Amino acid sequence: MTFLDKTARSFFLVEIVKGFWLTLKYFFKPKVTINYPFEKNAISPRFRGEHALRRYPNGEERCIACKLCEAICPALAITIEAEARDDGSRRTTRYDIDMTKCIYCGLCQEACPVDAIVEGPNFEFATETREELYYDKDKLLENGERWEAQIAANLKMDAPYR
Amino acid sequence: MAEFFDIYMLPVFEILGKILLIVLPLLGAMAYLTYAERKVMAAMQLRQGPNMVGPFGLLQPLADGLKLFGKETIIPSASNRAIFVLAPMLTFMLALISWAVIPFDVGMVLADVNVGILYLFAVSSLGVYGILMAGWASNSRYAFLGGLRSAAQMVSYEVSIGLVIVTVILVTGSLNLTEIVMAERTWWMHLLLFPMFIVFVISALAETNRAPFDLPEGESELVGGYNVEYSSMTFALFFLGEYMNMILMSAMTVILFLGGWKVPFGLEWEWLTMVPGLIWFVLKICAVLFIFLWSRATLPRYRYDQLMRLGWKIFLPLSLLWVLVVAGALIMNDALPMPAGVEG
Amino acid sequence: MPKLTIDGIEITVEQGTSILQAAEQLGIEIPRFCYHDRLSVPANCRMCLVEVEGAPKPVASCAQPCGNDMKVLTKSPKVVKARQGVMEFLLINHPLDCPICDQGGECDLQDQSVAYGYDRSRYAENKRAVKEKYLGPLIDTHMNRCIQCTRCIRFSEELGGVESLGLIGRGEVVEIAPYVEKMIESELSGNLIDVCPVGALVSRPYEFKARPWELRKTETIDVMDAVGSNIRVDSRGNEVLRVLPRLNEEINEEWIGDKTRFAYDGLKVQRLDRPYIRDGKKLREATWEEAFALIASKLEKIDGKQIGALVGDLAAMEEIKALKDLMNAWGSPHTDCLIDGAVFDAENAGGYLFNTNIADIEKADAILLVGTNPRWEAPMINLRIRKAALANRDLPIGVIGEQLDLNYKYEYLGAGADTLTGLRKSKSAFVKALKKAKNPVVILGAGALRRKDGKAIQQAVAQIAEEFKIIKKDWNGFNMLHTAASRIGALTLGFVPGRGGYNAAKMIEETKSGKIKALYLMGADDVNFKGLSKKAFVIYQGHHGDHGAIHADVILPGAAYTEKAGVYMNVEGRAQIARQAVFPPGEAREDWKILRALSDFTGSPLPYDNLQGLRAAMVTDHPELQDINVPMKVKWKGLGVPGKILKAGFETSIKNYYQTNVISRHSVTMAECTAEASGKTNKKVAANG
Repeated sequence: MTFLDKTARSFFLVEIVKGFWLTLKYFFKPKVTINYPFEKNAISPRFRGEHALRRYPNGEERCIACKLCEAICPALAITIEAEARDDGSRRTTRYDIDMTKCIYCGLCQEACPVDAIVEGPNFEFATETREELYYDKDKLLENGERWEAQIAANLKMDAPYR
Repeated sequence: MAEFFDIYMLPVFEILGKILLIVLPLLGAMAYLTYAERKVMAAMQLRQGPNMVGPFGLLQPLADGLKLFGKETIIPSASNRAIFVLAPMLTFMLALISWAVIPFDVGMVLADVNVGILYLFAVSSLGVYGILMAGWASNSRYAFLGGLRSAAQMVSYEVSIGLVIVTVILVTGSLNLTEIVMAERTWWMHLLLFPMFIVFVISALAETNRAPFDLPEGESELVGGYNVEYSSMTFALFFLGEYMNMILMSAMTVILFLGGWKVPFGLEWEWLTMVPGLIWFVLKICAVLFIFLWSRATLPRYRYDQLMRLGWKIFLPLSLLWVLVVAGALIMNDALPMPAGVEG
Repeated sequence: MPKLTIDGIEITVEQGTSILQAAEQLGIEIPRFCYHDRLSVPANCRMCLVEVEGAPKPVASCAQPCGNDMKVLTKSPKVVKARQGVMEFLLINHPLDCPICDQGGECDLQDQSVAYGYDRSRYAENKRAVKEKYLGPLIDTHMNRCIQCTRCIRFSEELGGVESLGLIGRGEVVEIAPYVEKMIESELSGNLIDVCPVGALVSRPYEFKARPWELRKTETIDVMDAVGSNIRVDSRGNEVLRVLPRLNEEINEEWIGDKTRFAYDGLKVQRLDRPYIRDGKKLREATWEEAFALIASKLEKIDGKQIGALVGDLAAMEEIKALKDLMNAWGSPHTDCLIDGAVFDAENAGGYLFNTNIADIEKADAILLVGTNPRWEAPMINLRIRKAALANRDLPIGVIGEQLDLNYKYEYLGAGADTLTGLRKSKSAFVKALKKAKNPVVILGAGALRRKDGKAIQQAVAQIAEEFKIIKKDWNGFNMLHTAASRIGALTLGFVPGRGGYNAAKMIEETKSGKIKALYLMGADDVNFKGLSKKAFVIYQGHHGDHGAIHADVILPGAAYTEKAGVYMNVEGRAQIARQAVFPPGEAREDWKILRALSDFTGSPLPYDNLQGLRAAMVTDHPELQDINVPMKVKWKGLGVPGKILKAGFETSIKNYYQTNVISRHSVTMAECTAEASGKTNKKVAANG
């Protein structure tokens, strides 16, 4: 009976017809993709996008050059050099992130004791050259200024769970 | 002078005009076939497909054509230049000249030869040469393997296509395509020919190197198959040829099995019969083309040995058997069409 | 010999051993902050509490001597709780500074609070704030972080010998403060940074520069003095970021001098990073090929005997050996390493070595210092004398030469030769003690021999040593104290004038007469170049553009001590291997390689192509080098009868501790220290906060 069954199945192309039926059903289903540059999905407050260095509301940069992000970075994408600033406080003289090395794991913002380095909500930072992806301190601080409102809101939203 | 013009020039212009009338819409159809393919595939994969160039991405084929046109033609230094350049031209040309005998409606045919089906068969068999030449002239392993596969595949499936056509000719009793369409068919004839229709469509997929039989291209193993070394317009000609062949095979399917320009299912309602036959013909071709695209979105690629097995061990015996079955059935029902002047 | 059990393990210890030490012998770790092996025991941090059966309260194990049949528990719930409590109290006023603290990552408080502390704080009130103190250009203070363990006070009082720090105030407001806010006047002040278990005292030059986990640690040997302190060079990339001591009980224990620790910034300035050739008055940049070709063409026209070679203070034995071999190949006897003009018997090793082992100075029961200031010439040796003086308050110490500022009591005997020879007849208590002593020590400063009668002084001291039985069968108390790291190595390799060879001063002088037409200076900067003729062709190979390079016609850039592998022999004749921490800057190369390459150009190729080959050749010629890390043992042969000694008093070689060689002279930190120590500035660096 199995033989007959199998033969009949292959003879009448049952499997193939089933397959065709499935794709035909899908043909009429609504699309799951969105029209990306014009439509965008909502992103989580925990989204790990482009990095930013934040400042305190009084304009003082948060980063204190503790180098914990550099130490924890699994891709070795962060390079920090530190020195005492004129007022004696510990500050970075160099804070570079090689965005081509970064794997966006978010460990740097986990490690940061002062919420200075964060991965913001921006994911549209494609560039035309590699060099533009070697972010330095100025670029990161500028990102921080640009995205501060959203970053602060996201951090606040996530605070109860941290 | 006027006489010369009337006798020689006028028919030439007329023929040229007709050719243009066939070729230009065909080229447009081919272009939008690529668009349709992408849209249909996208829909079946729950994607959007091209939607950026023009409304609904309708200008996408133009953009693609423009892009291909603007690219540099690269001829590999180790290739055989002449044959390398000739191959895509040949493919494209062969895909076009088949259309000479295709009837779009009653009398709407460039050359109403009475061996039209044989002509079609002959020309489509030649198509393999373009691919073989490309594969050989590229002097590349991938292209060569693709060419070999293509040759073997086409030869294999032409056998079954030939036998399928025999069954149809048995029923219609003519080699002329218009007559094949016009021939009366009873319901049991349709039933009898249905399996052959399936075999024909599958063989057509194989003949045109379409999924699931796209082994000559085989992106995942042969990179691009016979057209690996081609770029720009030479590649575009291959591309055009392939899609033209798809349309041609669809047209053949429609003519052989689906009643050409006739109203479907023999219906005779007035609002249907009012529609010109050409429209019906085009719609039917579209339906068959949809099957082509549908199968590409549904079926994974065959393995080479499976392909050969299917062609030689299943389709060949099956279609051979069916020639006997059809012939037997026709004789039993005394429906064997006889050429004029031969007694039944 | 009390016998006790700790955590159920039985142990018998010496009388007077503390529970903490006993536990350490068993490998049981007891946390501590105030306790330090080499300092006194105040028992004020209470971190080392353990439970002793029968005792009503937990006991501070660092201060409690072991008793018979004691049953000690170090892991009982009571102990764990006690430690958590102590930790919580310590952290009450300790700021959460770890991210900005230089101690972060290598901090005792951090580690121990993780290991033994309670995982949260219940203290919600304001933390106290303590004003920063100024302790000089070397030490930065963050007194908020201080946990009042008093290690710094005890170190500076006991081993440093300066009473400048103290505990001021009571209870909540207690703080550690200098009595007068000024630089700590000790050449060992850098060690305060090491003994501080938290980040209250940190290195000022290293401030905020790096984190301990990103540093590459290279264990090597110091060259700032001739003691050969064991150090660890911490570097990142190609930059030396700090120098730390490495434990070696026989030399520097776990301390180093400030010059050793802080002079490294001199490695970054005024470096020779490419070859130069003199073009008229100016030096111009050149390639190695050009420089070598020029040297080869010049030397071709000169007889080998007209070439002189001098070796500087920081050279490793490898390049000295290579230069010596090269000079031999050229056929020149004019080699000398005594560039400072010292004159003494360089043939007899017993006469110029520090024969008493450094560690054995602690056993000394009478010490005579002749023309030396060990505090500046060799802080590690001075520390041993200080320890001997601490252990024996009446330790007789006599000084002949200059009046010195030493951190122990001494008897000033006189200035010069008269005092020295007068010792024989003297009936003073000191001489009596010296004669009677079981382990007497005489230290003769090599600096005192920088005069014509140097050899006579050396012989005179040796003669007195013999007469006073300072040299015995099992004890050799005759010591010469050098200040140049390369000196003993060069003497061992025989880098002294050969037969008919000139010494350093004579070489310079003879450039006028044309008997010396070319001079090869191997890092020789501290030479008296007065009288050097312009006619002489001078090749300078070294790492800093200093006195030597000014006179050079060709400069070959070499490597500093952190940039090359090399063997250095310290004053005891102890060969030690220094390792490469970073790469030489620019075009500069390891020195022996330069000589090897030059030897090809001058057509006298040296027979070794790699460091192993060179060292093998060194050991073949000088079998005593086979034993690494042990002092050379030399049988005393006597130095002969002294000649006439001039009247003048003996001088010590070092006038300014902080600047003694090319590296320390170019160090900004050392310059600040010099200014501060001489009172020229009263700059107060703004404290943080």
